[in-house]
Amino acid sequence: MAAPWLDVLDETIGACTTHNRPDLAERLREKRARQLDPKLRVLVIGEAKQGKSQLVNALVNAPVCAVGDDITTTVPTFVQHAETPSAALVRNPVARRAITDNPTERVPVALDQLAKEVSAGYSGEVVRAEVGIPRALLTSGLVLIDTPGVGDLRSAHTASTFAALMQADAVLLVSDATSELTATELELLKQVITNCPNVTVVLTKTDICPQWRRVLETNQAQLARAGVSAKVFAVSSALRLRAAQTGDKVLNAESGFPDLLACVQRDIVSAADQLARRVVAVSAASAIQQLVAPLKQELTVQNTKRTEDTIGALHEAQRRVDELRRRSARWQTVLADEMADLVSDIEFDLRDRTRKILREVDKTFDEADPAKGWDSFEQWLEDNLTEAGAKNFAWLLDRSEWVAEKVAKSFPVYREDLLPGSIFPEDVLERISAIERPNIEKFTVSQKLFTGLRGSYGGVLMFGLVTSLAGMPLINVVSIGAGALFGGKSIKDEGDARLKRRQAAAKNAAQRHVDDFFIKFSKDCRDAARHVQRSLRNHFSTLAEELQETLLESARSARRAVQDDASKRERRTIEVRHDLDKLVELYKRVQVLGGSQVALGISA
Amino acid sequence: MSLENKVLGLLNEALIVYRDSPRATSWLRNQLVRFGEPVRIAVAGSTRIGKSTVVNALLGEEFTPGRGFTWYRDGVRARATAFTPSGPQEVPVVRRDGRAHVEMGMWDQVDRVIVDWPTRALRDATIIDTPPTATSDQVYREADAVLYLMRHLQDVDLKYLQAAHDNPIARSSPINTVVVLAKADEIGAGRIDALSSTKQIARRYRREARVQPLCQNVVAVAGLIAVAARTMRPEEFTALAALAALPRAELEDHLLSADRFVGGDFPVVMDPSVRQALLERYGIFGVRLTATLIRQGFDTQVKLVTQLVQRSGLGELRDSIGQYFTERREVLKARSALLALDVVLRAEPKPAARKIVMDLERIVASAHDVRELRLLAALQCGRTRLPGALETEASRIVGGLGTAVQARLGLEYEADETEQRYLVADLLARWREQAANPVLDQDQRRAATVVVRSCEGMLSGLG
Ligand SMILES: Nc1nc2c(ncn2[C@@H]2O[C@H](COP(=O)(O)OP(=O)(O)O)[C@@H](O)[C@H]2O)c(=O)[nH]1
Ligand SMILES: Nc1nc2c(ncn2[C@@H]2O[C@H](COP(=O)(O)OP(=O)(O)O)[C@@H](O)[C@H]2O)c(=O)[nH]1
Ligand SMILES: [Mg+2]
Ligand SMILES: [Mg+2]
Repeated sequence: MAAPWLDVLDETIGACTTHNRPDLAERLREKRARQLDPKLRVLVIGEAKQGKSQLVNALVNAPVCAVGDDITTTVPTFVQHAETPSAALVRNPVARRAITDNPTERVPVALDQLAKEVSAGYSGEVVRAEVGIPRALLTSGLVLIDTPGVGDLRSAHTASTFAALMQADAVLLVSDATSELTATELELLKQVITNCPNVTVVLTKTDICPQWRRVLETNQAQLARAGVSAKVFAVSSALRLRAAQTGDKVLNAESGFPDLLACVQRDIVSAADQLARRVVAVSAASAIQQLVAPLKQELTVQNTKRTEDTIGALHEAQRRVDELRRRSARWQTVLADEMADLVSDIEFDLRDRTRKILREVDKTFDEADPAKGWDSFEQWLEDNLTEAGAKNFAWLLDRSEWVAEKVAKSFPVYREDLLPGSIFPEDVLERISAIERPNIEKFTVSQKLFTGLRGSYGGVLMFGLVTSLAGMPLINVVSIGAGALFGGKSIKDEGDARLKRRQAAAKNAAQRHVDDFFIKFSKDCRDAARHVQRSLRNHFSTLAEELQETLLESARSARRAVQDDASKRERRTIEVRHDLDKLVELYKRVQVLGGSQVALGISA
Repeated sequence: MSLENKVLGLLNEALIVYRDSPRATSWLRNQLVRFGEPVRIAVAGSTRIGKSTVVNALLGEEFTPGRGFTWYRDGVRARATAFTPSGPQEVPVVRRDGRAHVEMGMWDQVDRVIVDWPTRALRDATIIDTPPTATSDQVYREADAVLYLMRHLQDVDLKYLQAAHDNPIARSSPINTVVVLAKADEIGAGRIDALSSTKQIARRYRREARVQPLCQNVVAVAGLIAVAARTMRPEEFTALAALAALPRAELEDHLLSADRFVGGDFPVVMDPSVRQALLERYGIFGVRLTATLIRQGFDTQVKLVTQLVQRSGLGELRDSIGQYFTERREVLKARSALLALDVVLRAEPKPAARKIVMDLERIVASAHDVRELRLLAALQCGRTRLPGALETEASRIVGGLGTAVQARLGLEYEADETEQRYLVADLLARWREQAANPVLDQDQRRAATVVVRSCEGMLSGLG
């Protein structure tokens, strides 16, 4: 059965074609395609080993995700509907190097091998796993996304979880019943909610926890105290899976899954349908308004008897087209100027931040001996650069949003869909995430081998960025200076030339590394800004073209009205009235759909 | 001179240098007293991770947990002292329903209690149960060694352990922490193989680069099972045996979940309150495990208890405590004393203390006992490997089986000094060769150097 919004949308597209507006029809068709493929992403998130993967398996009654006592899930796994079961690994062999166009490849694997492939063969190249299985639950377009655990901040696993969070429609936060929600889990929950308000908490493993009811109550109380209105469901995946094996209805009821599934259906699937309707309603309404304007114009002109009035209206239409052209030039200038300012400000900010870090480094190595505490120093440097990068990038995104608003203000008319749904092209983050791990050359100081920054730098950086986007204060600002890491005064410094050489070498290494970071990171920011600029320009140009087309059509109909003879005019008037009535009718249905209160303004 | 004596000497020197400062003097006197006491082992970790349960398992007694720091130390009779705002107060320790309680009465908000408890487990160690609010700093200051309880390594755990080593002296001797994967039955999701699965995870953590530098060992422990086993009551055994006698499939059906186990229509006459009590003491996993073990032939209370204690990981935990903590009392005490001395030197620096500062540095830099301990842990966790029989020999010489010469040499009979000297000289020569053996890598040669140094130590001890 087609959704009600689909009928309305298709009729609106038909009307656009009838009224000679292929451009509007095209835009609505794009919207239609996007809504028809309603990937409803439900992210399953939580700390390690809470039973996330097993929960997904139990929801679809199939062992699609790897489950284990030790850390198992390494990449997000997307589980969605398919007529025949299938699985694939999505790999990005160059993810660690190239910043631009990194093509991913899909490698099909046997479904029963997937779990093993993901947990065993993680080489850093696999970016996600995909599973298709035939399940009624998933036919509505639901995609369940199993994720690696959050809470191990240094790991690249966490980074990919947060990247997935950016695209989630709903979140299931998983915490097992062996203990109450921890402070970190609560913090996580609060931050997730700012990003995706549709959150449900799932308490797992009730089968092995005699006190799960007490934990459930405590958690609910904790949520209430924190002002979080999420529902909490207690389940046992183990019981559910066993019930499925033996066809045991009673056990399935004991597992708690029937309630959880009902909630998913009601609060996630149906709620998403509401959202789809609203999106469709806004676009359709905007298209109809544009169809109506020329017709109204024509009617007005035909109603006026005197030719000079008619000609006056024609001039008026012409004038407005010119005005639009003139003001188009204006918004384009605003966009170009603002983005140029933005790029230079961002770069200045980054330079300022890295300078401060370098100053601290210099101060430290004026006194301290790099041979002691170098490991912590590396960590310190890494943390500080990550922090600087995160702040800087977050600022870039904020400013971009502001620029979009400013451009919208200088746009000739107001429309509800003036601001793009997302300022940021989808791949803006992927680009940044690909930042290469910096290469501090190995260098020797007093026989001690100092290796470069350890760990997956890209992962850390990515994490920093994404969390600060979500407003996550999870990365601690390193407030103590690097100097404190070197133990303070009681250890006597050797005051000889060797120490001086070591200090100079350390300063140099740090300087090189920070410079390197600056160059790479500022280039990425520039690229990202360019990317944002391009997508904003496309968005506003499309809108401008549509507007112009609407105005031109008004002018054309005015001209037609002047030229036509009386009887023809009469017939035309009836036609136009008829068309208008039909559009008004359609518009009313659109309003019902979205519950929106936008007046069409044709009662006159 | 032994490390112990060097440190004692230094403390006494400091007492002279700081004789004008009452604060420093009383601090240093306390350190001298502490130096002579048994090792203090704190059990730390986040809320409800199972600290009190692990403490009980070590004591072999079910104590009702208190609120703040609770010290358990050896004593001739059971008694407790609460440290109240108006001075120490003696409070009674009583046994009720098979459990031990400290009757705090009006003092139940007190944040420090010392319990004297006569038990062999406390002969060589004082065990400290810590409140969840205690910071890393507090715990490590209070104790000479720490059992840190966690589930899976999370960022908060790393931060906690790193904070403990955030000092040059502590960093140069990371020998006082053993990580415990607590509630091992829950980590293994209550499956019948849960404990061996968790032991495998512990093995993996021992080799993990982030964990290694912060602890001596990682062990998996199911505290609940250990306590229940060590305090098993005859009527519990009877009930468990009755369960094990049920047809397997039928019992399994009622062990599917905790709810089912205490639910209605149970296949054998057993009061719900009895089942409820079993569940509280053993957990659903404990009931599953005991039923299986009894069926497998561990069908007397003694046999069952032995099996449970072994499987719970308590044995391994005690071994680690012995090997790394109580056997190494001197070096851990010395370490604590040096850290305490460092505090004085920083808080009240003065020119007259310069020599002490330098001596302190020299001791920290050269303490061979610390190196022995680190090497021992490295060999046992497999992060340092030596070819063939060298590995066991090295681990024995650095004190893996005990720090007496007899144990280091692996002698099973009483050898006289001459023979011992002869044996050590032989070892020394062989290990000197290894220390210069080009086939070995740098890490292995460094390990050999430590062994050489241990041999030299033995030789000089033999006079
Ligand atoms: N008894 C029981 N064990 C569970 C349940 N859900 C998960 N587990 C176990 O918990 C462990 C971690 O599960 P997993 O799904 O891999 O956790 P993740 O890291 O959050 O994805 C595994 O050993 C699972 O078997 C449950 O409902 N009951
Ligand atoms: N299943 C299971 N539960 C445990 C284990 N150890 C402790 N618990 C339970 O966990 C809860 C908290 O234990 P407790 O020792 O008081 O934790 P503490 O707050 O860290 O001292 C109690 O309900 C214990 O019964 C264990 O090894 N297995
Ligand atoms: Mg998982
Ligand atoms: Mg406790």
